[in-house]
Amino acid sequence: MTRSIFSSAAVMAFVFSGTAIAQDASAPAPQQAPADPAAQAAAGDQSGGLVVDVTGGISAPMPIAIPVMPTAAVVSTPAGSTDVLGRQLADIVTNDLRNSGLFTPLSPGQLRPITFPEVTAPGFDYWGSTGAQALVQGFIRANGDGNLTVGCYLYDVSSKAELTRTGFVVPPSDWRRAGHKCADMVYTRLTGEGAYFDSRVVYVSETGPKGRRIKRLAIMDQDGANHRFLTNGQSIVLTPRFAPNQQSIVYMSYLNNRPAIYVYDIGSGKQRLVVANANLTFAPRFSPDGRNILFSMAQGGNTDVYRVSSQGGTPQRLTNSPGIDTGGSYSPDGAKIVFESDRSGGQQIYVMNADGSNQQRISFGGGRYATPVWSPRGDLIAFTKLGGGFRIGIMSPSGGGEKLLTNDWQDEGPSWSPNGRVINFYRSGRGSGGKADLWSVDLTGVNERKIPTPLDGSDPAWGPLRP
Amino acid sequence: MDRSEKIGLGVAVVGHVLLFGALSLGLLGAPELPKKIEQQPIDVSLVPDVALEATAPQSVETPAESVAPDEGAPEDAAPPAPEEAEPEPQPDPVPPAPQPKPAPPKPAPKPQPAPEPVAKPQPKPKPAPPKPAAKPAPVAKPVVKPQPKPEKAPPTKSAPAKAAPAKAAPSKATAKPSAAPAKTSSTSGKTSSASSAKPAKPSSTKGSGSTAEAKTSRPRGSRLGDNFLKGLSADPSPSKSEAPKAAKLGAQAAANIGSAILRQVQPCANRQVTPGPGAERIRVTINLKLNRDGTLKSRPTISGHAGVDDDNRRYVDRVDDLAIATFVGCSPLRGLPDDLYDVQNGWSNFSLRYKLPG
Repeated sequence: MTRSIFSSAAVMAFVFSGTAIAQDASAPAPQQAPADPAAQAAAGDQSGGLVVDVTGGISAPMPIAIPVMPTAAVVSTPAGSTDVLGRQLADIVTNDLRNSGLFTPLSPGQLRPITFPEVTAPGFDYWGSTGAQALVQGFIRANGDGNLTVGCYLYDVSSKAELTRTGFVVPPSDWRRAGHKCADMVYTRLTGEGAYFDSRVVYVSETGPKGRRIKRLAIMDQDGANHRFLTNGQSIVLTPRFAPNQQSIVYMSYLNNRPAIYVYDIGSGKQRLVVANANLTFAPRFSPDGRNILFSMAQGGNTDVYRVSSQGGTPQRLTNSPGIDTGGSYSPDGAKIVFESDRSGGQQIYVMNADGSNQQRISFGGGRYATPVWSPRGDLIAFTKLGGGFRIGIMSPSGGGEKLLTNDWQDEGPSWSPNGRVINFYRSGRGSGGKADLWSVDLTGVNERKIPTPLDGSDPAWGPLRP
Repeated sequence: MDRSEKIGLGVAVVGHVLLFGALSLGLLGAPELPKKIEQQPIDVSLVPDVALEATAPQSVETPAESVAPDEGAPEDAAPPAPEEAEPEPQPDPVPPAPQPKPAPPKPAPKPQPAPEPVAKPQPKPKPAPPKPAAKPAPVAKPVVKPQPKPEKAPPTKSAPAKAAPAKAAPSKATAKPSAAPAKTSSTSGKTSSASSAKPAKPSSTKGSGSTAEAKTSRPRGSRLGDNFLKGLSADPSPSKSEAPKAAKLGAQAAANIGSAILRQVQPCANRQVTPGPGAERIRVTINLKLNRDGTLKSRPTISGHAGVDDDNRRYVDRVDDLAIATFVGCSPLRGLPDDLYDVQNGWSNFSLRYKLPG
């Protein structure tokens, strides 16, 4: 991890307001919250008097301390003893924050355990001596109704102040979610970014020799926990995508040796065919509102992007140019669609309105571009860059600011985290015999890590934040 | 004219001729005079902030009482000097207080020359020993020989106060003192020297306020009322010898305090971690209220933001945190000048504007 230090140069200036207003030291300062920028700019000088300008800071992971979460009383629960859960919750928060690449959690082993009353009254002097700038404390308590209550408190060690707190009541089976929620709270408060730890990933789990790979649909938490298979592997599945409501998954299956698009209902475990058609259909993806599904269909040697209701029905054709148009992905507002097309000779990225009008090419760099995916934040489009290997990249919806985030042999299949700051993809090593693993990288391209899966994995699809 | 004179005259004439010729030749061959130095016009702008700003003492202390408490029948009273009628009625100018140099340290506002109250029982500035009997205050000798501590300049300094009057006062002050000494010198050289050295030497002699000299020697209308020196109080005088505080923090002093604050909080600023790209455009201003010992009187409050746009709005809360942590993490502040604590624009209440580098 590179630790680049911004200029620590300080600039100072002393400003007096024209109107020297004698201030009563005991009078509370008015809390101003100017709405418009102009007013905000002037707000600093309104009080009159001495103004000291300070500039300083670094761009580096933040040291943060997450001691073991104590419990008021050790109680045995279906998820385990509360004191053990307290330790594991601290580990979950620690790992989530570390994996984000924006924090450097202190090793829990180096931190002294805290008592239950200490959760709300931290010993800031001690935590300051550890070098931590932020402190996450929490507790776990077994309720009489069988649920667990997890409290999560975030403190700023320097200013010795509580920044925020949240409590969760969860059934024992969801105790890990409480840890992710706690980490989300910390992450959101300290980075200003959206939450993403309490989310799940669906992907294609692979195993077996190269010629007879068994590909099964699998789902897990974003950190790899709570892994389970959704299909039995009797038929190959590809390109799974979450529905916005997280209750279903759309994917392509070779069920009965007929490649087609199915929707899998997570609750019932049942799957249904979306487009009953003799043609090859693939690359499905839900619209942001979940009402429609984009997919590609090959018909008469020409592949185009279609839209169909998620309940089924007659597909509506959105593109009609000669060549292969595929991989459609909605913008978050549902107004536009990004897709790839080789109409110009090679695979490039195009953007069109949701009704198929106004198709415009946005990628003009060297090489080819595939599998574009619109960020849930709307500000970026992730893609796979082909040329001298497969690499994951991002660009703005207008095509500018192209940036490649990875540089390995074969990285492909990007999928955005719920907050649009991290991308999952799968990586095939050179000479790996088709084996692939799941990886993630953030927008800086610096924080790259492998996502643990019991078997090989490909085609990850990151689901929305869980409610 | 004898011969020698002729020779001398001839030599002188020849010598002058030679000298004239030599100089003439020399001037012909002399190099040109150096060019006249060109004068570059210089723009002069008047900058009010260059100098200390209104550092004039603006005392808010109440001056020592000029009239002694009534503790007995007056022994004598110096006749009031009519013309010198001080604006302030109450103080009883003690005669001898020709404060030639009234306000000691503080440059600006010279305290008005109000003569110091005579028998100030409580002039604690310096327990003026009564020794200086020898140099009696020129003017009105206080009748009683109470061991009045001569009120030196101190009382006068603190007396006036009031910013507005302070400005006007100086001229008066200077004028009067000058006149006073002159008079005194005429009356008695001794007193004049004494008064210049120590303005308010109390005279141990029992001055007779009715004497003409007393009147004339009185520097400025020091009117001694009937209650003049009625008695001395054992209570300490409220007047202080300390220099009054500046009315307002001047530019230079502000820069010095700002530097001192910056030096102490900069290490904490350098530790803050930027939440993300774009956050460096945010500038947050926090208001700080400090106790005299440098600790925070109350929690810092956010008083304004600048540089916030749609891209970095999500970082505003965090930058607020960083600004507060920058100050709180390095507080309490140490070593700030105590006398500039609660002056106007002093460091008892100031703002800190924080931003991330970039």
